[in-house]
Amino acid sequence: MGNSETLLRVKDLKLHYRTARGLVQAVDGVSFELRRGETLAVIGESGCGKSSLAKAILRLLPRNVQTYTGEVWLNGANVMAYNEEKFRQEVRWVQMAMVPQAAMNSLNPVVRIGHQIAEALLVHNKGKMTKAEAMEKAAESFKWVGLPLDFLQRYPFELSGGMRQRAIIAMSLVTEPDLVVLDEPTSALDLSTQANVMNVLKRIKHELGTTFILITHDVGTASELADQVAVMYAGKMVECSPAETFYTNAAHPYSAALMASVPTLRMDKPLSFIPGQPPSLINPPTGCRFAQRCPKRFEMCEKEPPTVELENGQRVQCWLHAAAGEMRDAQ
Amino acid sequence: MAEPALTVESGATPATAKGLPQWLRLLVYILTRAVTIVITSVVAVYLTIIVANMGGKVDEIRKAEIDFNVRQMAVADESLRHLSVAEYNRVVEARIQQEYERQGLNQNFWARSVRYLWKAITLDLGQAERLTSDSGSSWVRQIILERLFPTLLLFASAQLLIFFLGIFVALALSRRYGSWLDRTVIALAPTSAAPSWFYGIFLILFFAAMLRVFPFGGMVKAPPPTDRFEYALSVLKHLTLPVLAQVLSSVFHTIYSWRTFFLIYSSEDYVEMAKAKGLTSGQIERRYVLRPTLPTILTSFTLLLISLWTGAIVLETVFNWPGLGRLIYEAIQKYDTPVVVGTTVIYAYLLGLTVFLLDFLYALADPRVKVGSGGRRA
Repeated sequence: MGNSETLLRVKDLKLHYRTARGLVQAVDGVSFELRRGETLAVIGESGCGKSSLAKAILRLLPRNVQTYTGEVWLNGANVMAYNEEKFRQEVRWVQMAMVPQAAMNSLNPVVRIGHQIAEALLVHNKGKMTKAEAMEKAAESFKWVGLPLDFLQRYPFELSGGMRQRAIIAMSLVTEPDLVVLDEPTSALDLSTQANVMNVLKRIKHELGTTFILITHDVGTASELADQVAVMYAGKMVECSPAETFYTNAAHPYSAALMASVPTLRMDKPLSFIPGQPPSLINPPTGCRFAQRCPKRFEMCEKEPPTVELENGQRVQCWLHAAAGEMRDAQ
Repeated sequence: MAEPALTVESGATPATAKGLPQWLRLLVYILTRAVTIVITSVVAVYLTIIVANMGGKVDEIRKAEIDFNVRQMAVADESLRHLSVAEYNRVVEARIQQEYERQGLNQNFWARSVRYLWKAITLDLGQAERLTSDSGSSWVRQIILERLFPTLLLFASAQLLIFFLGIFVALALSRRYGSWLDRTVIALAPTSAAPSWFYGIFLILFFAAMLRVFPFGGMVKAPPPTDRFEYALSVLKHLTLPVLAQVLSSVFHTIYSWRTFFLIYSSEDYVEMAKAKGLTSGQIERRYVLRPTLPTILTSFTLLLISLWTGAIVLETVFNWPGLGRLIYEAIQKYDTPVVVGTTVIYAYLLGLTVFLLDFLYALADPRVKVGSGGRRA
């Protein structure tokens, strides 16, 4: 983690879908940076655009994409500018891998797991690596996630959910990519298996120094791995803060409300909830998208809030802080 | 840190994966399927025997025939003239009984039907009542053997063509989903509602009667060429229209449904995963779309085969193809029960064999069916 070079820089990323009911602005102008070896946890309610953000970064687009713009700088190159073939050869699974939301269905049911892991190596090292070497590397990756090696010869249906999730984590690590996007890696698992998988991820983060983007709706899970926490609300990234400041002192009113709704082990606080519902991503309200539910709204919230960088490294999209910053500047 | 994780998870292996080695599970599966198919065939043959004998009603018709004939002959018999009425009736009755016995009609029909069944399934098909083979034999086995090869040739070539054409076109369309070509094929899918012989008539009208490029029917031109190559060429020419008729009658619907299977399977999460892994689109298509869809395709193909075999009777008659279908048509026309039963047995066996073969391929294509009985799905 000592290396603090910037691995990933996302600038004004937009992903809009066409649907029968209108344009869905799933990711609407998201910007953030991530240093090598760190983990960014992206949290938010379901339907806020978290998974779409992952898809946009990984360029796994559905057919009904209307707008896909912005910049994704990875290892100093804007990979958004690559054509599909160059992206496939140089970025997919070489620099960037993923652990998808539905690990249950993310393994080919009719191909042995070992082959599925080895093929990622074989396709990117064409002619340079034999099948036996690739299988050896696959076995190594199985050791990282703590799966017995004879499972390489099994079919996915012969594994339990937790084992499949770990097999997929092994698959995402086998090519030693710089960045792994984890899209709700534990949501489909029961609690004890969730803890197992999180432990595996923590160990990998420390031992291999892999950079993760962890997408989750579970604030508690996020805290185990995160160095930075980003909060998404209605397609916007409303806050991106260092983990320790976020958990003690979230800047955005939505983040604060979210934290207040999470039970903690030691504190005996009454749990609160956020009234109302998140806005539809089709024709979202102008100005601050959280304004309707925000306890601290004032007249400025009618307008699009600016992104403000606070002194402790927190970046927040909110007029409250913009106003405070202006006042501070004025003094 | 990972050690406890390891021990917790290892115990959760699905129980069915343990125990028997894989090849043995495959064998058990294959044997189970074989037994099922044999039972189905036997039931089909038995039903045919009952239907062909009209559930024993044919016996009554034959008994009435015997009664009538014996009485006619008794009236004409001079040696019976001097007998008393009672004596006369006794003699006639005895003669009738003798004739019943000669034809086995004194036994219960149901008891005899079981004997027929045994003979049928062991291919002891007996002699035809009216039909003969081209070489003049009246043994049903001989008649059927002569017709078997042409039928196999016609149906195997049509079925293989439909299978491979279906797969390739369906894959290509699933790639161009929504294009005009795709929509055209979907629009043409209802044409499969018409049977193959219906297309056969039109093909004959167009290519044989009007354009005169293909023959009207038959399997080889008369007289048959002596040169082997020329013979094969002539057979190929005669084969074209009936194969085309079968392809036309099922290919659009087949492509439509298989393309839909491919589309459904291409939206699976593992296909997206394969794309994220950076596999080429060719690799994704072969390993992540075609392979997992294959079991479904095979099932749909099995159903298609059954309907193709059923259409054989009329199609072969339309094309004057010297196969089993036309044989059964002729046999029904002439009330030749042994031939009808014999042909049905062969049909049942052929159908059973194809289904069995496809089941075997299914087991090879889908590793999940080898688990336990009944093919547990994950």
